[in-house]
Amino acid sequence: MTSLDANIVIWLNGLSGNVKIFDDLMRLAASDYLMPLVFSLGMLGLWFSGKTPAERVKYQLTMLMGISALSIANVVVWLFNIWLERPRPFVEHGDELNLLFYPPTDPSFPANPVAVGFAAATAAWTINRKFGWWLYAAATLFGFSRLYAGVFYPTDIVGGAIVGIVIYGFTTYLRRFLEPLITSFVRLMRGLSAA
Amino acid sequence: MNTDPMAVRDLFAGHYFLFAFLASIGALQIAVSNSGIRGLWLTPHAGITRILGIALILTGIAVFFLQPLWVEGPWAAGSVEADSLTREWGKASWSEIAGARNVNDIHGGLDGVKQTGWFALAVILAFFVSAVVGTLSMKILSAAQSGNAGTLTNSDTDGLEGLSNRSYLSNLPISWRNFRTDIRVLWRGELAKTDRWSLMRMLSRKGGSSE
Repeated sequence: MTSLDANIVIWLNGLSGNVKIFDDLMRLAASDYLMPLVFSLGMLGLWFSGKTPAERVKYQLTMLMGISALSIANVVVWLFNIWLERPRPFVEHGDELNLLFYPPTDPSFPANPVAVGFAAATAAWTINRKFGWWLYAAATLFGFSRLYAGVFYPTDIVGGAIVGIVIYGFTTYLRRFLEPLITSFVRLMRGLSAA
Repeated sequence: MNTDPMAVRDLFAGHYFLFAFLASIGALQIAVSNSGIRGLWLTPHAGITRILGIALILTGIAVFFLQPLWVEGPWAAGSVEADSLTREWGKASWSEIAGARNVNDIHGGLDGVKQTGWFALAVILAFFVSAVVGTLSMKILSAAQSGNAGTLTNSDTDGLEGLSNRSYLSNLPISWRNFRTDIRVLWRGELAKTDRWSLMRMLSRKGGSSE
């Protein structure tokens, strides 16, 4: 499994250096700033979407769950990092990789950016399938670009996606233990004309 | 050349805040124009507001990622091996621009927590700018039409629903009054409906309140 994982990242990263514009697009997509902002803007947009007050409340409660899921996913990834401490591909196969991104110092499994992206996409998908699929595509591109850049193994990406989806489900389940605090927060925002 | 990560972080924070502000006001405009929340529109027309929103997002992205061309900084300069202690402080070239922003947070890039903080501030600012411009726009329109579109008195609608045909300043007192009236009833009603293991329900029992 480990060697298959390594072979895939070495093969995929081996495609870099041929078409500069593609490498540049991957560098942009892998950026710490672009895709996370896309996920955040998606959630912000959904907060203000909805044609009726009932639909809007549903959207806003889901977005609060999504934001909470992002935070919890970060903690879960950090716990996995401590537990497994899997080295990055460029540490183990540095001489076979053409690194397109700065060398991160944290462990490889699971991919934190992918976990965050999939948690946000799952939140969006539960209320708006079409928009959710777009965010899933963005999260997948984010993961692929990091794989292509040589900073994650494929299983890190898959692991990150699973963590993101599962944590969103878990956060939705947790909501029942925090009600009516969550609904009251949305009501407070409405009192401030922001929900 | 030694580059202090704190100096790099300050540079990134300012650039990121502008990026997040432009993009979030753009996303806000697209969303409110689609859902008819006129009190937050930057222009009086839904179509123009939507196009403006798209333009603001694209401007934010373009400015942030192209800034290394004209602003001096610790840009990756084409070498991912470089860190803040070894990279040159200067402007990036076109061939380096795609990776110029890829700076590790330990060398002055912004980590997730800092990005979240700056993004939240940018969203709050974007909301208030939209509310102020929307209020002025509705006042000017209502004055031009000699009507009272900016001050509808129906207090049934509040929050974003109220902003569909009321300015933010007119809507805020109504929304706040409704919130203060409803919150206790809502809290008790929701508390009664909630899961038996709800933290709030257990706390309220501990506090001695009866159901």
